[in-house]
Amino acid sequence: MDPEHLAGLRLLQLADSALPIGAAAHSFGLETLTSEGLLDTEHMESFLRDYLVEMAPLEGAFCRSAHRLGAGPEFSVDGWVDLNRRVSARKPARESRVAAATLGRRFLGLLLDLGEWPRLRLARERAAAVYPSTAFGLAGAVLGLEEEATVLAFLHQATAGSISACQRLLPLGQTRAARLLWDLKPLILELAAQSRAANPGEVPSFPALLELGAMRHPDLSTRLFIS
Amino acid sequence: MRGGRLQLRFDRDRACGRTILAACEQQPPLRVVRAFPTGDGAALVHLHNLSGGILGGDQLRLSVRVGPGAAAQITSTGATRVYRSRPASPVSVQATAMVVEEEGLLEYLPDPLIPFAGSRYRQETRIDLAHGAGLFWWETIAPGREARGEIFEYELLQLHLDIVAEGRPVAVERMWLEPSLRPLGSPARLGPFRYLSTLYVCRAGVEPDRWLRLERQLSELARHLTRPAEVLWGVSSLPENGLIVRALSAGGGGMAAGLTEFWKRAKRELYGREALPPRKAP
Repeated sequence: MDPEHLAGLRLLQLADSALPIGAAAHSFGLETLTSEGLLDTEHMESFLRDYLVEMAPLEGAFCRSAHRLGAGPEFSVDGWVDLNRRVSARKPARESRVAAATLGRRFLGLLLDLGEWPRLRLARERAAAVYPSTAFGLAGAVLGLEEEATVLAFLHQATAGSISACQRLLPLGQTRAARLLWDLKPLILELAAQSRAANPGEVPSFPALLELGAMRHPDLSTRLFIS
Repeated sequence: MRGGRLQLRFDRDRACGRTILAACEQQPPLRVVRAFPTGDGAALVHLHNLSGGILGGDQLRLSVRVGPGAAAQITSTGATRVYRSRPASPVSVQATAMVVEEEGLLEYLPDPLIPFAGSRYRQETRIDLAHGAGLFWWETIAPGREARGEIFEYELLQLHLDIVAEGRPVAVERMWLEPSLRPLGSPARLGPFRYLSTLYVCRAGVEPDRWLRLERQLSELARHLTRPAEVLWGVSSLPENGLIVRALSAGGGGMAAGLTEFWKRAKRELYGREALPPRKAP
C-alpha cells in the first residue's frame, strides 16, 4: 500500500461535500440575502468571486496555521486553543460562528470514529470551539497530507458548499453549478497562495452584508436552513 | 506629515466619587480642552483635531486609560474628515490604544468618519478590558462626501479593531476597503448600501446567558428599525463578554439615532442606569 496514495484518497473523502457532518444544513447568511433579493442567479458568479476574495485568504490562513501546528514535532495545545479563539473573534455573527464550530467539532469527531490520532483527540478535548478551517488543517497534518494540498482541498470544499447552498435557494441548475465550481478553481489557487506568508490575525476580510444576513437569519419567516 | 499625540488618563476621585481627567498630554493637531462632569459621575471629553481633519500622511496616536471604577465618555466635535492624500504621502494613520481597568467604563461615541476622494487612511484601534470593565464603542463609516456626489472615491480605507477582554480576543476586525480594486457594491461586501455602522457593547465577566438575553431584546429593536432597501440592523452576541450591533444603510439617515437607542437599552440592562448622550458644544 502506497502511503501517499492512501493519504490522497483520504483527502478526497474529507473534502467531499457529502461528508456526514451536517454542512448542508447551514447557509451562513446566504439564505437571508436570497430571500431579500440581494443575491440572484444572474450575479452568482461575480458574487462567488468577490466572496472568495473576502473569505478564502482568511480561512486559508487559519487552515494553514493549524496544519503547521499539527505538523510540528510537538503539538502546542495552547497554540491550538489560541488559534481557535482568534477564529472566533473574526466571526461576529453568532449563528455563523456556532454553525461553524458545530461543523468543526463534528469533523474531528468523525475522524476519531474512523481512527485514533492523539493530537486530534487532544485538539477536540481542549478547545472550547473548533472550526472547519482549523480542524481540516490539523487533520491534514496528522494524516500526513501536504500543507498546500490540505489548504486547497479545504477551500475547494468550502466553495462547493456555498454553491450547493445557492442551488437550494435559487434556480441554479446542476450544470451551471458545476461550471461555476470549475471556473473558480484558478481563483482558489491564487487566493490560497496569498495565505502562504500571511499571519491569519492580519488577513483582511469584509463580507459585511453576509455577516449581517447571518445576524438577521432568525428573523426570516420561512427558512430552509438551520437557525 | 504630522505626528500628533494625545494621552488621556481618567481616574475615580475617591473623595467625591466622580471621575476626573487626571492626566492629559497633547501634541497638535489632537487636542482636548477640558473634561466636563456628566450627570452620572463620569467625565466627558471632546476630541478636537485642530486642522479640521486627518491630512495626507498624518501619523496620529491616541492613548486612553480609564482607571479602576472610573467612567469616561469620549466624543468628537464633528465628523472625522479624511482629506485627499498626495501621491507621495504615506498612508495616514490614527493608532488608538484604550485600556479600561477593573470596573471602569469607557463610552467612545464619535461622529462619522468621512473619507474624501483620493484619501488613504488606516485606523488601528486596540481596546483592552480588565475584569468587570465595560465598553460602549461605536463607529459610522460614510461613503464620502455624498452631497457632492462623492461615493466610494477614496483610495484606501483600512479599519483594524481589536477588543480584548481579560487577555482574550472577543472581536477582531480587519477591513481593507479599496473600492477601485474591490467594488463595495458587490453583495459579498455592502451590496446596495453605502453606510456602515457598528456598536460594540462589552463588559468583561458577564455570563454568556445574559448576553444571549440582551441579544434577543436588542434584536427586537433591530427588527423595528429595519427598513428593507433603506437600512438593515442586526445584533449578535460575541464569543464572550459582549455583543455587536451592526447596520447597513443606503442613505445614512437614522443611523445616529438608532445607535443611540441601542446604547441606551444596553446600558440600562447592563448597568441599570440611563445612557446620557454627550453634550456636543464644549
